[in-house]
Amino acid sequence: MSHQQDIARLLQGHSFIELSARERAHSLLDAGSSRELAGPFDRQYSPWLGAQGIVAQADDGVVICKGLLDGQPAVIAAIEGGFQGGSLGEVGGAKLVSALELAATDNRQGIPTRAVILFETGGVRLQEANLGLAAIAEIHAAIVDLARYQPVIGIIAGTVGCFGGMSIAAGLCSYLIVTREARLGLNGPQVIEQEAGVAEYDSRNRPFIWSLTGGEQRRVCGLADALLDDDSVLIRQQLLDFIARGLPEQPRHRRSQHMLQRLLAMDSTSQADAASARQFFQSGAKP
Amino acid sequence: MLAASPPSPVWNRRRNEKRRRIELASHLASGRILPTDQLTAALEILIAPGDRVVLEGNNQKQADFLSRSLARTNPARLHDLHMIIPSVGRPEHLDIFESGIARKLDFSFSGPQSLRIGQLLQDGCLEIGAIHTYVELYARLFVDLTPNVALVAAYQADRHGNLYTGPSTEDTPALVEATAFRDGIVIAQVNEIVDDPSELTRVDIPADWVDFVVLADRPFFIEPLFTRDPRLIKPVHVLMAMMAIRGIYERHQVQSLNHGLGFNTAAIELLLPTYGEQLGLKGKICRHWTLNPHPTLIPAIESGWVDSVHCFGGELGMEAYVAARSDVFFTGRDGSLRSNRAFCQMAGQYAVDMFIGSTLQMDGDGHSSTVTHGRLSGFGGAPNMGHDPHGRRHASPAWLDLIQTDSLLARGRKLVVQMVETFQGNGQPTIVESLDAVEVARNSGMPLAPVMIYGDDVSHVLTEEGIAYLYKAESLEQRRQMIAAVAGITPIGLRHDPASTAALRQAGLVALPEDLGIRRSEASRSLLAAKSMAELVSWSDGLYQPPARFRSW
Repeated sequence: MSHQQDIARLLQGHSFIELSARERAHSLLDAGSSRELAGPFDRQYSPWLGAQGIVAQADDGVVICKGLLDGQPAVIAAIEGGFQGGSLGEVGGAKLVSALELAATDNRQGIPTRAVILFETGGVRLQEANLGLAAIAEIHAAIVDLARYQPVIGIIAGTVGCFGGMSIAAGLCSYLIVTREARLGLNGPQVIEQEAGVAEYDSRNRPFIWSLTGGEQRRVCGLADALLDDDSVLIRQQLLDFIARGLPEQPRHRRSQHMLQRLLAMDSTSQADAASARQFFQSGAKP
Repeated sequence: MLAASPPSPVWNRRRNEKRRRIELASHLASGRILPTDQLTAALEILIAPGDRVVLEGNNQKQADFLSRSLARTNPARLHDLHMIIPSVGRPEHLDIFESGIARKLDFSFSGPQSLRIGQLLQDGCLEIGAIHTYVELYARLFVDLTPNVALVAAYQADRHGNLYTGPSTEDTPALVEATAFRDGIVIAQVNEIVDDPSELTRVDIPADWVDFVVLADRPFFIEPLFTRDPRLIKPVHVLMAMMAIRGIYERHQVQSLNHGLGFNTAAIELLLPTYGEQLGLKGKICRHWTLNPHPTLIPAIESGWVDSVHCFGGELGMEAYVAARSDVFFTGRDGSLRSNRAFCQMAGQYAVDMFIGSTLQMDGDGHSSTVTHGRLSGFGGAPNMGHDPHGRRHASPAWLDLIQTDSLLARGRKLVVQMVETFQGNGQPTIVESLDAVEVARNSGMPLAPVMIYGDDVSHVLTEEGIAYLYKAESLEQRRQMIAAVAGITPIGLRHDPASTAALRQAGLVALPEDLGIRRSEASRSLLAAKSMAELVSWSDGLYQPPARFRSW
């Protein structure tokens, strides 16, 4: 792309990262088809945050929108990274689980509802502890159930990324779309630094963090299926392409034997870096 | 009997003293090169107790090998120094006061060390000569604060002492000139020494002005102070930027200006290629700039808004971009940026139509200060640019536009705009009953309160509520009403009388966003030409290389 084309694209400004969770959901569904379920006017606040001095939000940071994708029924669950770091608590978790379970019920009744999850989350909401953990476990089960009928597609755009138990949910998706600014990891950088020490893992060294957990690295390592520019139009097109492709031959979570073999073969005496991690994920017998 | 003849006058004591010290130190040096491990010993010889020492603590570039070495000298040999430090930014700048190496301090700015200066002052470890503005401090180097020794930083030197100070030339020429031409000793730390002048990137300071060069133990410390991540610009900044462009830049046809490092002004820079373009203002406003190479200015430059930029200093990561846009920036024959804080401050004082800045506190009369309880943060360059210079004679549309009479004996006026949110991020009001600076002055025995910009210099106040066109005020009381009208729910704002505010709007003395044709709901981040660091890189055609801490990839 020439510099002038680049500038024209920048001035058009179809950034997906810029959008709120609600705007992201609306931007992906067919124009005019989006309808929010259990929205802010239903006032389903977290019953736990207020007592801990945190102002609760009327949608608890999870937006569920029903609508059409390329004319077919779909539901989008979007996590709002701007509220409590996109953490999953009792109410938001229940909304996400219900959306996925209702989509599975639809499919059992012959309605081919697809689900898309927009991850922007640090994982469980610590203030709601076990209730959040339970919700995340139910999300995992619901994804696996639904993914028997229709592809479940995850999108991590940034800027929060996807961590904790929700990174497992991302791993369970039939297809995962990332941008360069996305990050995907079980533990967040600060948690790893706290455990491993700053000498081994400096959470403030941003290029280092992205070199290991960033979208580009995760795509090369095969943990994501598409790496896209931060552009709503491109992301929607890729989403439709994956839906058209249907269920993957072998979903990522069915490839666990391959991963386990790789883990057994890993040499943990020398510190992993971006290049060795790539090599590690790419080597070995293909699943 | 003959009376004893009076001793013949000596007119070159300074030169003799300089020669004496250099000879004493010559065994440590090889020509003009001091070995890295001999620097502390050399400083103990080349500096004498009680000397005035100017130390290059810049806004960005720091002569930190020299300051760390000075802090390691023996206080029994070196004590009671009178330090002149434009920007007190490093811990060791103040360690030398604790150990007794230094006693008196003249400075201009002290951002990160402002709390500790306040404490040392209270503990009696430090005596303050004065807190200056930048130009004022450089000026005094040529009058009553001429240094005995200058400690400065450069990228490269050759064996003769020629220096390359490059994109971060900043204060170096002013400090060196005042020292070298009154028989002071100039010592430069450099990141690299080359053999021959022809191997130098270019010569910024000639060897004639330099006495010693030392290779630093590590490259000088430099901070990317002027990089603002567009991600952190909020919709309220966009709203204020729209108001500034419509209600000030467009209205007065502001052609030349300075911007500081706030998110508000970063938002203005990023709105020029979008909102400014929609208003058809390209070529009509914002053509000539005095400011550092802000990364957020890249989209405006790439879209053809900017004719020229002169810089106080450089900005990390912008080197290659600046070098590739030499029509816009001042560059050397090697192609890289040449900055100069003294000249840029002077340009910002006399040659620009507008200064637009921010502050921590402003009172109901429009006086502002960044000095708050316990913090002696100094002034830097804002007061140099943030006032109406009565020595200006050349006319420009904006300068003439502020004249309120038809008299040929009227003078034009610089636009001095205070652009503040009514509350700070910590919930403290920006617009207050009384500046903390007044009480700080009272408690620490200063003759006057440390005021950053005096109310009578302020021509416009812009808040998220609206714009007060203070230059139109007919009385002090009316000025106060105008400020109160845009002061939101601060203590000053609560005093406003809705009826008088309506009258002020009617008379065009105060404008709310709707009076300027701006719908608050339109003030969204989608108007920013770049919304992230990555987009700034794309705008620069890959030439801008942001420092690691600003990367999200």
